[in-house]
Parts: sequence; structure tokens; C-alpha cells
Amino acid sequence: MKFSLSAESARRVDELVRRYPKKAAALLPVLHIVQREKGFVSPEAEEWVAATLGVPPIQVREVLSFYTLLRRQPAGKYVIQVCRNISCFLAGSEDIVNYLETKLAVQAGETTADGKFTLVTVECLGNCDHAPCLMVNDDDYGPVSRSAIDGILKGLI
Amino acid sequence: MADVRATLIPAGENSYRLEAYLGRGGYEAARKTLLEKKPQEVMEEVKKANLRGRGGAGFPAGFKWAFVPQADDRPKYLCVNADEGEPGTFKDRAILTRDPHLLLEGIILACYAVGIHTAFVYVRGEYEAIAMRLEAAIAEAGQKGFLGGNIFGSGFDLEVLVHRGAGSYICGEETALLESLEGKRGWPRLKPPFPASVGLFRGPTVINNVETIANIPLIFRHGAEWFIAQGLPRDGGKRLFGVSGAVRKPGLYELPMGTPLRKIIYDWAGGPAEGQAIKAVIPGGLSAPFLTPEEIDVLMDYESLAHARSMLGSAGIIVIGDRTPIIDILKIVARFYAHESCGQCTPCRIGTTWISKIADRIGAGGGGPGDLDLIRHLAEGMKGKTLCPMGDAAAFPVLSIIEKFGRELEETISR
Amino acid sequence: MVTIQIDGKPLQVAPGTTVLKAAEQMGIVIPRFCFHPAFEPEGSCRMCLVEIEGLPKLDLACSTVVREGMIVRTSTPKVIQARKDVLEFFLADHPLDCPICDKAGECFLQDYYDKHGRYASRFLEAKEKKKKKIPIGKKLILDRERCVLCTRCVRFLRRVTGTGELGVFERGVTAEIGIDEGTEIKNNYSGNLVDICPVGAITDGDFRFKTRAWFLEKKRTVCPRCSRGCNIVIQSVRDYPLSGRQRKIYRIVAAENPDVNGHWICDYGRYGYPDVEDNRWKVIAVNRGEPAGGRPPNWENILKGLAAEIRGLADAGRTSSLAVILNSFLTNEELAACRKLFADALGVRSIFFADPKPGEADGHLLTADRAPNGGGAAALGFLPTLPDLDRLAGASDLLIAFGPHLLDHFPVEKLAAALQGIGRKYLLASHRSALDALADIILPTAHPAEKKGSFTNIKGTVQPFECAVKPPRGSLPEGEILSRLASELGVKLE
Repeated sequence: MKFSLSAESARRVDELVRRYPKKAAALLPVLHIVQREKGFVSPEAEEWVAATLGVPPIQVREVLSFYTLLRRQPAGKYVIQVCRNISCFLAGSEDIVNYLETKLAVQAGETTADGKFTLVTVECLGNCDHAPCLMVNDDDYGPVSRSAIDGILKGLI
Repeated sequence: MADVRATLIPAGENSYRLEAYLGRGGYEAARKTLLEKKPQEVMEEVKKANLRGRGGAGFPAGFKWAFVPQADDRPKYLCVNADEGEPGTFKDRAILTRDPHLLLEGIILACYAVGIHTAFVYVRGEYEAIAMRLEAAIAEAGQKGFLGGNIFGSGFDLEVLVHRGAGSYICGEETALLESLEGKRGWPRLKPPFPASVGLFRGPTVINNVETIANIPLIFRHGAEWFIAQGLPRDGGKRLFGVSGAVRKPGLYELPMGTPLRKIIYDWAGGPAEGQAIKAVIPGGLSAPFLTPEEIDVLMDYESLAHARSMLGSAGIIVIGDRTPIIDILKIVARFYAHESCGQCTPCRIGTTWISKIADRIGAGGGGPGDLDLIRHLAEGMKGKTLCPMGDAAAFPVLSIIEKFGRELEETISR
Repeated sequence: MVTIQIDGKPLQVAPGTTVLKAAEQMGIVIPRFCFHPAFEPEGSCRMCLVEIEGLPKLDLACSTVVREGMIVRTSTPKVIQARKDVLEFFLADHPLDCPICDKAGECFLQDYYDKHGRYASRFLEAKEKKKKKIPIGKKLILDRERCVLCTRCVRFLRRVTGTGELGVFERGVTAEIGIDEGTEIKNNYSGNLVDICPVGAITDGDFRFKTRAWFLEKKRTVCPRCSRGCNIVIQSVRDYPLSGRQRKIYRIVAAENPDVNGHWICDYGRYGYPDVEDNRWKVIAVNRGEPAGGRPPNWENILKGLAAEIRGLADAGRTSSLAVILNSFLTNEELAACRKLFADALGVRSIFFADPKPGEADGHLLTADRAPNGGGAAALGFLPTLPDLDRLAGASDLLIAFGPHLLDHFPVEKLAAALQGIGRKYLLASHRSALDALADIILPTAHPAEKKGSFTNIKGTVQPFECAVKPPRGSLPEGEILSRLASELGVKLE
């Protein structure tokens, strides 16, 4: 099946490509648009992006494998990123990770069986004065406690 | 203690909106400058103000701009570095969240000074909400004629684009940022040539940190002398000090350059967390060598910290309490650099992971008598030999931990 | 010119020269992995760090351009320690594959450890595990554990062939060379990847496990498979560890020649070495007509016989019925001898050329002309005309054909019919072919790799070469045959 984006996403891609002095520079932003709509970047999407921007397909693969926020596999509906760097560690991030692993019944790096949550541990999220902090998709939370996490998870349908 | 009067971080829920910014006198300095001053005058004023880069390297902004060859018909670019990946650093987030128009006004002035008509703001991928807010601000400014063609009727054109990263600390290094912006892996480039002569799309490029650019409207609102008076003679302006870790009041504190570190920790951030004494302090983001409790009377400016064998860096202060085993800190430091190493050059690619494996082994109880010497040897092996400064960034904090907390590490190993 | 100092000795170099190239001019070889003279400096291996006076840190020799008065030191304690340190990083995650790795004996890691390393390993952790036997196209095999990420292979495919099949995936210590799914390296220059890989990460399935680099005798010559005249090195083993008096060629690699082929050779030439050994004529074969005296045929009695036949025609005033078919695998010296003997001394007018059919030029090195010395033949005044078979049959009593390439132009049945009408037919051939059955006498000749002489390439460059491998005992180079024949006929070739 041929790869295509929604009309809205396709329009945003066109606009982006027009604004950059060189088409290839739009690679990361376009990959973000693809991932936002489809949840990940499939091999068909890679081909489409390569053709749209006039870059060799291998360059798309190189970029996809280099950057941690880009995914080649589907993830859960909610991606929970828990920071484990110094300030968050000092504020108890290890306990937060353990708690989430237990509550969601997955190991960090995995997705729940119902496809709802993906739990990942990450390096500094730039929110150190709200340690321990985490992100759920694009939303920042911090400081989080066990009960705060209960509340957050309950609100995610 | 009274709150710090923030000029870079305004109060109020809607501080980020254009009306609020205009209400604070925003865009006036840019308008007047573009209509009344020549670009060269703008550059001179910024040089006079001794504004040093706030990304970590501390290079004087005006002088960096002056490296761009003026007699050159290649398109020039400004890249604002909003990659903010240095652990302990969260100041650019605050500026972009609460005062995006301040950044835009600074971009206008910087681009006017250097003759740049396209500016990119490289925002780390995790700051999606911030990127959207910045895009909205750009749209607002554009509608009012503050961005786009013929801004303020001055005849000067400027387009600002928000570019998102995708999760890579190394893309905060200026040449890796350029590679990433061009749609490639974030592998730093060999210097020379420097970005000022061969940069984005091979054109002359200036790369500045968010906070650096955000200070520029202040220089033109109040003058270079005022700016210097806010800080130190060679180090103008105030600095956004981020304090986090084992302190009672983590947060962002806007204070003059040269404020003593002890004062920041105790008077502003409330001192160490309940029931703990200070074990170590990182003064300038994770890449800065650690300080012992005896060393925290140091003044927070570039020279003083360099003299103390550390660095001001991103002014991200992290306080580590005495309840935390130093081996846990060493493990995190080593793991961070191993994870973020881009892999291009051998010493960092191999050295960071090697050190991380040794630290993990020590933490798991498998340490041996030669391990600390070995870590020191590996860090020295990386120092000064890598393609980009991340090799040094990976080496220096590790070396400082071994040097200053070696006794505790030895005890951990022999247990 | 710029004057600098390297290790205390003054040197003058052209402006724009890098420290590494300048040092080479003094015979100092600075160790490196990622630098290759065909590409711009990459600066990622960090092995070429040297001390430059006035600079606080060590600097890369590969990318630092000389400045007037620069003082360079390539073997101070700091530099020596830096090399050890960088090498230690390389080797820490390198697998202990030497006993089974083809690159042993010509591996940068081995050589540099021997010269610049010699430290005791302190790596106690688990090494990174990666895939080890990845076919990436043609017969090439990628071993990711051995790879040192010098990116020479990636850069070669992006800048030389423009095909870009390889890339770098992942990052940090998990960074690895890779090929896009479903693609493979198919271009005509893939073999160069094995040459330029400094370690055993890319190996050639054609060479894998067959012999050891230190057994190889290396002889430089000119590739005869097209008219580019790429310089090559034929690498063979003689005697030990082969049994008896065997000789076997194991591979051909590129030899550098900035005026002809640069640093590369094409796969068509590289993998053409079986030509030298396969399907050879190694003995004189007599199909019809006993040699003089009825003894077993040898060079003396056969050439005496041929000389007698030629003299017979000359005496009867019928040298016009002597036809010679030459080819462009003959060296300039052999072609000159042909002209002196056949055209000048014997007055032969029916001199023709039969060369392989042209192939497709690949836009880089491989030419359409698939013989090495068309240029030399032209320079000597020969015309590349094929014989008209009917006229040849009607007018000729004695045919001397060099090589079987008539078969490239005429179906064997037509040739059989035409050659039927010619009284005596001598075939001088290095390889067996369908033409053999049509000849009366077959004289085994040498392959160009077994000759000494010169070829003139497509650009008109005359390239002399030495004998790279000895011909089989029964064979002779055409030049030697011509010399003996001329001697029998009393013709002076000098």
C-alpha cells in the first residue's frame, strides 16, 4: 500500500519544505510530522520522506537511527519518559521508575500489552528544578510522587 | 527572602503574549535601533557591553559576530541554540516559555548587526510545547510587522524559523547543530573552518545561545554601560543561575555575574535539603568539574571558576548531599556521556562506554584496586584528543570526582 | 614555498600542504586510520595527532595546513603517549580475531600496535557484540565487530562511485556501518573497499581463508583487460605453503598511479586474475604435420619448420600468400618486432588485427576497448583491420595467428570453412579455445602478466612493466618466439 499522510500533515510538509533554503534540511521536522500522525516511521514512510526531500533513502535511515526521539517501531498511545540524570536521581527518580514498572507491569523500554503506555528512561529533560520529572508525550510533569503518578495515569484514557 | 527581580523571566501567566511584551516596552529598542543606527554601531555596542555567551563556552558575542566576513554574497545565517541538553540547565526553557518575544527582539538586533536575513531557532525535540509557543510568537510578531519583510518599515527583512531537534545532546555543540539542521546525523565538524566562515549550508553562520540573544534587547534598552554595571567589568549583565539537586528551593535565580556560589546556594536556594550536608557541588552544568564543600566560596564568573579549576559553563548548579554515595553520581555521569556520544571519534566513542562499564562494575560490587587509576587513565586519554569538546566534557567531571572523592570510592571498592 | 621544521629538520613544501603530507616527503609516516589520500581529511580516528609548537593541545597532522615557520614534532613523549592512548581505545572493543582474520599481516591495528602500542591491555569489561558476517554485495563481507568506524568505505561509495550504498547507523559505541535493507553493493569498484579498509572489517569472499598475507609475493604490472592500463599488483604464492613447485595467484590489488588510475582499479580487472592460470596452453600441440625429423615437437624443431616454410614461400616469390593476424595484447616491443620481421624483412602485406569485441565503458576507468595496447599498435602504424575471411582463404598459403580473438568476430563454422582453404595454420595462443581444432600447430604463449615490455594506454601513456609471474614452463612470450624465428630466418631484430 502506498504511503501517504493526511491532508493536513501533507500541507504542513509542503509548507516546511518551501521555507528551508535546502529541502534536505527539513528532514527532522518532516520525520516529526510523520511520527506524530502514524506513531512511528515505517520503511514505507522512510521511502516517501526520501523521495519528497530528494535525499538518499540511506540518509533517512541514518538519521532515524541516530536520534532517540524518532521511532522505527510503533509505541504506546502514551510515551512516558522518566529522567534519570543527577538532579532527578537525587530527588528519587529510581523509585519513580520502579513504581511505574510495577504499576504498568513492564520493564523500562517496553510497551504495555494493551498498547497504551511505553515507558522509557531518558537523560536530562531540562526541568531540573521540578525534579523528579517526567514527560507524557509532549507534556511535562514534575515534581512527581507516587500519588502524583497515580493521578496522572488515571487521567490518561 | 524577596524574589529576585527578573528582567529575563517576567512574572505573570500571560507574560509570553505579545500584548504583555509590548506593555513592558518590548520591540521599542529594536525599532529605534533599526531605524536610527547602522549595523556596525549595533555590533560595537554589543562588544562594548562585554556580553559573553551563555551556552557554556563564554565567548564574547560581539567578537563572534565580527568574525563573519561582511564582503561576502553567500547567505548568512543565525542559529539560536535552544538545544539545552546540559544536565542541571533549565534557563532557556524559562526564557522561551515566559518571554519568547524577548528572544525574537534579540534575534532581530543580532541579525541586523551581522547582515543576516534568515534565523533558525534549534529547539530540542523534547521542548515541543515550547517550540509551538515560539512559533505562535513568531506569527504574532509577523502580523505586527516586527518580522518578515521590511520590519518596522526599516527596509530590513528577517525570517525566523523554529527547527526541532530529535533527542541528542551532542546537537548542542555548534557544528553538530549545523549538521543536524542540514538534515544529517549530529556529527560535529572539524574546525577550522569555523562556522563564521563556513557554516550552515556552507554560508557564514553565527550560533548563539538563547540567553545570550535574550540579553541583547536589554543592552539597547538601557545601554552598554548599564549592562556592564549589572555584572562585572569583563563580564556584563546578570546571569540566570539554575539551582537543583539537594537544595530546599530549586529554581532559577537571576543574579549579577560574580555572585558567590555559597550565597546562591544558601541565601537564594535555601541551603541543602533537610537533614543533609553538602557533599559536592557542580557549578556549571554536568560538564563542569565538581567542587567540594570547602570550595563553594568561589565567585560565579568565568575567570574565578576557571581559576578554581572548574567552569561557569551553563551556570547550572547541582548540589549533591551527603546521603548520596559518590559512586552513584559517577555512574550517572559516565552513563550520560556514553549515551550521548555521537560515535564519530575513537577516544570518546570507546572511552565513554568503557568508563561507564567500569563505574557500573564498581557500583555492582565488582570493583578492583586498579580501577580508579584506570578510569583516570582513560579520562586523560580522552582529554584534548577528541574531535569536539564533548570528549573534554566527559573527562573533566570524572577526573574531578576521582581526584576529590577518591577516598570514598576506594572505600566503596574495598567493601 | 613554505619553510617548516619537522623533528628538527627543515623542509620546504608547497603552500596548502598538510603536516601529514609534508612529513611523508621526509619519509616520516604518521599513523592514521581515517585519512586516505584520495579524500579530504576526516579527522575522526585521532591517530595522527602531533605536537605543533605554540599550540596548547596536540593537533591533527592530516588536516593541519603548514604555515611559515611551523615547528612540528612527531615523536615527543606526549605524541607517543597519545598514540598509545588512541590505540588502546581502538583495541579495547576490537575482537580477538587475528587467527581467523584475513587482514592479519597487513592490518593497521596490528602494525600500529607493534610500532606504537606495546602496552598491556587493561580492558576487563565485556566487549560490544555485533554482527560479524554480513554480505553487503558481490563477495564482500562486513564484520561490524572489527570495524573501527574510519568511514573510508562510506566516503568511497559517496565520493568515488557516487552510489552511497553504505552509511553509519546508531550512535556512540553502538555506531555501526550498514547497508540499507534490500540494497547491495553492485558497482564495478567494490573491490577497492577491501583495499582501503584498514582492518578486517570488509573482507573479500574471493580471498577469504585462502592464504596469508605474509606468504604473498607482490609484483607490480599493468592490467591487460582494457586500454586504461591501470597499475596493479599481482599477489601470488610460490612453493611454501603450496606443495611442490606450485605457483598460485590469489589476488590483484590496485597500485597507485596519479596519472593513470589514481588509487583504484575496477572489479573487472581486479577479479580477472584467474585468466592468468585458467585454461592455459602449456605445451606445443601438433594437430597436422610432423615436425622435421619426426621427433617430439619442441621449440627448436617447430620454429625451424616454420622458418623453412616461410623461406619456401619467399624463395618462390610468394610472400604475398603469408598472412599474419596480430592482437593488441602484444607489447610495444613485440609489435615492433612483428613490424620488423613480417612487414619490413619479409614484406608481408596481409597483416591484420583481431582483438576482443568492445564492451561497455563504465564512465570511470573501464574502457570499451578490452585490450591493453591498441594505443601502441596505432602508434606503430598498424591498422586495426579484421581480415576478410574469403579473401584470406583464397589468397593465403600460410597463416600465423596470434591469439584466438577471431572467434569474437566470426562464427566458428565460418572460420573453419575459411581456414580449410589455407595450407598451413600456426596459432600462437596463451589460452585454449575453439580455434585450437582449426590450427595445425599451436604454440603456447605467455599472458601479459608473464611478460616484460610496455603498453600504451588510451591516453597515449607508455607504461613499461616487468614480468610479474613466471610463465608456465612450456610457454614463451611472443617476443621470445619472434626473436627465435627471426634468428632462424637470419633477420636482425635489433
